[in-house]
Amino acid sequence: MTAENGSSVLRTDNLGMVFRGPGGDIRLFSDLNLDIHAGETVAILGASGSGKSTLLGLLAGLDVPTGGRVLLAGTDMTALTEDQRAVLRGRELGFVFQAFHLLSGLTALENVMLPLELAGETNAEARARAALDQVGLGERTGHYPQQLSGGEQQRVAIARAFVTEPRVLLADEPTGNLDRNTGHRIQDLLFELNNVHGTTLVLVTHDPELARRCQRVLSLEDGQLVAA
Amino acid sequence: MNSLRYGFRLLLRDWRAGELRLLAIALVLAVTAITAVAWLADRVTLATEDRAAELLGADRALVGNDPLPDRFASLARDLDLAVARTLQFPSVVLTEERTQLAAVRAVDPAYPLRGSLQVADHADGDARNTTETPARGEVWAEARMLIQLDIDVGDRIELGAEEFVVSRVLMLEPSLGGGFQNLAPRLLMHLDDVPATGLVQEASRVTYRLLVAGDNAAVNQWQARVQPDLGESVSLETPGEGQPAVEQVLDAAKRFLGLSALLTVVVGGVAMLLTIRHYASRHLDRVAVMRCLGATERQIGAMLTWKMVLLGLITAVLGSLLGYLVHLFMLSLLADLLPSLPAASWRPAGVGLLAAQVILLGFALPTILRLRRVPPLRVLRRDLGDQLFRGWSVYPLALAAIFLLMWWQAGDVVLAIYVFAAVLGTLAVLALGAGVIILLLRRSRRAGATGLLLSGLVRRPWTNTFQIMALGLGLMALLLLSVVRQDLLATWQDRLPDDAPNYFLINIQPDEADSLQALLDEQGLETRVYPMVRARLVGINDRDVRPSDYPEPRTRRLVAREFNLSWLEELPEDNRLVAGNWWANGGQPEPQFSMEVELAERLGVDVGDELHFDAGGQRYTAQVTSLREVQWDSFNVNFFVAASPGVLDDAPATYITSFHLPRDQQRLLVRIVRDYPSVTLIDVSAILDTVRTIMAQGARVVELMALLTLFSGLVVLLAALQVTREERQFESALLRSLGGRRALIRRLALTEFLLLGGAAGLLAGGGAAVAGYVMGNLLFELEYAFNPWLPLLGAVGGALVVAAAGLLATRRLYRVSPMQLLKGAEEG
Repeated sequence: MTAENGSSVLRTDNLGMVFRGPGGDIRLFSDLNLDIHAGETVAILGASGSGKSTLLGLLAGLDVPTGGRVLLAGTDMTALTEDQRAVLRGRELGFVFQAFHLLSGLTALENVMLPLELAGETNAEARARAALDQVGLGERTGHYPQQLSGGEQQRVAIARAFVTEPRVLLADEPTGNLDRNTGHRIQDLLFELNNVHGTTLVLVTHDPELARRCQRVLSLEDGQLVAA
Repeated sequence: MNSLRYGFRLLLRDWRAGELRLLAIALVLAVTAITAVAWLADRVTLATEDRAAELLGADRALVGNDPLPDRFASLARDLDLAVARTLQFPSVVLTEERTQLAAVRAVDPAYPLRGSLQVADHADGDARNTTETPARGEVWAEARMLIQLDIDVGDRIELGAEEFVVSRVLMLEPSLGGGFQNLAPRLLMHLDDVPATGLVQEASRVTYRLLVAGDNAAVNQWQARVQPDLGESVSLETPGEGQPAVEQVLDAAKRFLGLSALLTVVVGGVAMLLTIRHYASRHLDRVAVMRCLGATERQIGAMLTWKMVLLGLITAVLGSLLGYLVHLFMLSLLADLLPSLPAASWRPAGVGLLAAQVILLGFALPTILRLRRVPPLRVLRRDLGDQLFRGWSVYPLALAAIFLLMWWQAGDVVLAIYVFAAVLGTLAVLALGAGVIILLLRRSRRAGATGLLLSGLVRRPWTNTFQIMALGLGLMALLLLSVVRQDLLATWQDRLPDDAPNYFLINIQPDEADSLQALLDEQGLETRVYPMVRARLVGINDRDVRPSDYPEPRTRRLVAREFNLSWLEELPEDNRLVAGNWWANGGQPEPQFSMEVELAERLGVDVGDELHFDAGGQRYTAQVTSLREVQWDSFNVNFFVAASPGVLDDAPATYITSFHLPRDQQRLLVRIVRDYPSVTLIDVSAILDTVRTIMAQGARVVELMALLTLFSGLVVLLAALQVTREERQFESALLRSLGGRRALIRRLALTEFLLLGGAAGLLAGGGAAVAGYVMGNLLFELEYAFNPWLPLLGAVGGALVVAAAGLLATRRLYRVSPMQLLKGAEEG
């Protein structure tokens, strides 16, 4: 699967993933090829159990495939150690999760500062404040996650994802835990920021409506990606 | 990333969420126990070390049981050294109404050469330093003597043949001296007043001291010149070694307390091991997110380590503060036994700080650091990483930490190994017992209808075994120290007959022996006055005997001292021959010795060996023809070595006797002391009372340590409740949504806690009874019977304590609505 324009930023070469199950090996996918170009927005649709989360994990370097390669900005992630992949993730990737995954002991501001500090950035606080301003939470920097609503938590997570100005943003069912209205507002925010920052967006969802907002929609069926 | 800052932030968060509380409490208790003992030991050691010279009252001292030759003093004066003489002996002080044994020290005006005396003008007056010493005709007495004699400053007392005015209260005096005299209140008098009292005669039990102080080089020169000239009867004391006996006792007490403090650490460690896994598993998600956002293993490791280090610091500060308070409480319990102590140092707080880190390093950090390996993919798949804490590999480090602490407290690797093995053995036996109880409950559950009531204990066998073991250890320590100690003491006292001698008379001069015997006979007291010769063992067969010949310290000390020898015609009633034959009665048998069997074993002497004794420069030689077993605690006069009549006839002897005097005949004592001024009266019951007080006060300190261990045991219970909290919540909610009433659920919990505490107490009581039996029969040679009430007492006590603590800790669990509970359980 290749796009028509721009340079490749995230690519898989003959990606394969096999799980060892109690009744023998389970082949989730094999020889899966995907090429995503800079600035593109891509949705990956799939029924639950189709392996779309596994694919996202492989694209993010959170997991290692049993076959093939994943290239992020030209670097073969399968050839790196876990720590090297972590550093690469911190530099090149942003994440938005269904369960928000904010750290409960840190304030909104500190949560947004975290990836910058992990990467050793010096002006973390100013940048985090700016990012929170962008998602409309400039007034709630000192709040802890449990003091924020679901929508607000996801906005903090979006600020955290964009604050490092990553090349690629990976989102896993970003509105799955939110009510319909809030979900819409979060979608708007996500695409708006993506537009502003010119980030490449890869979105995994089972929501066709959300998928349609992307330039390219792919469906994971029987271990292969097909255009939807 | 600033891992210190993140560590601190996350620590705060954990604290607010209550996730760290039990871990912290277990740690604080452990540090409290360790620092309390450290502070106590530190201050007592400081008192003995820092003021060693002051305690000796000089830079060097010569000590002997005979007057010290003048040449030592003149040499010191030639070297421009200051010189003082003292004389120390026990004697009875009389008033119209009362008698009191005193440790008398007669001093010349130069005393002390180092340090100073502290006196007060009244028994409850303020202490002040003084450079004076008692004037002629005056004495200074310790406050407790004034209390015991019911007199005050200005009153008169009799000492031997003289009367004295008590002119000051003696608050602090250097050179306390060793032996039982330490226990008697001190009395200070002028050296020149001694002859008039008639208390010091030839062969009296007197310690002569020559104190020397001055320029360091001159002191060393003096020491170098007198040392070769000292002979066997004079010894040299230097600062710090003046009180070997006291130091040894203190050292042993320090080690014992230190090791008992570690019981709290062991039990606290169990609590930590229980909670830490649970605690760590709650952090899987957080660490996974950080990994996902780019954190490296090193960053995670540094952050988690900092978190633990900070936790260690905070708990150490808290624990040290509490330890300081506990040590103050201990000091108040020991107030009568200890001299005034120097101010506390900071060192024990450092010990607490270090101990907290070692404990965390051993018990928490290995588990916590496994979090570094959380797969970042957990952010997408919640089931990943749950297996991270499986396995037993964290336990060796915990054991290593405990052993390290034991080694440090014991200061001796062999002792540390013994204690380590004993504690592990006890824990293993307790765990085994707990396992058996749970197994039996499981059986009975299957058999009967009480299934639901017993279900709690049976369903969590591992956690419950842990709990029973830890609670049992705490309870066992407490029972041992309270009930078993009382039992042992009572058994020992029961062994003494009611008419056991309660008074000893020593220093009876040869010309007084017959008349004193007549006086005692006249009073209807059944007793004998025995001759006593103080002699040094100088040879066995053809070889010379030196203390250095014996590796065992106690034997060494025995050989270094003078033996008390006597001559007997008949074998005393409380002696039993175990080898050889007693000499024929009547007439003048061949010169022979009979030796006490244990001493003979120590010295390697057997029947047929020839012993050479030196008494007053004269040599006495005879063959050992029998070995005797002696019942020392009959309080009758007994001798290690007895000679056949005639052997020691020309040796310098004093006489000794013991008798039982009923309380209503005490006037006789006054008569004896007045008519025989040189005779020293020793009140055994007063000494026994003092020993009993020391034991009781010491035991209370140890009980305090055991209480800390029990608290730790309760923390284990709370830890187990925390770990099983979600499960309990869910079960409770389920039962209630199925129609179970709150009362039923409460009853289920109560039954579980009662059984848990009862099982722990039963095992603890059984363990304490067995330990008491073993200690009584093997260690103290007492016929101490197994106390069957102990397991019952333990079971009831344990059940009540655990039920109360358990219900208190879970009260909220059963109050909230099933809906809330089910929701809470889902969220975990």
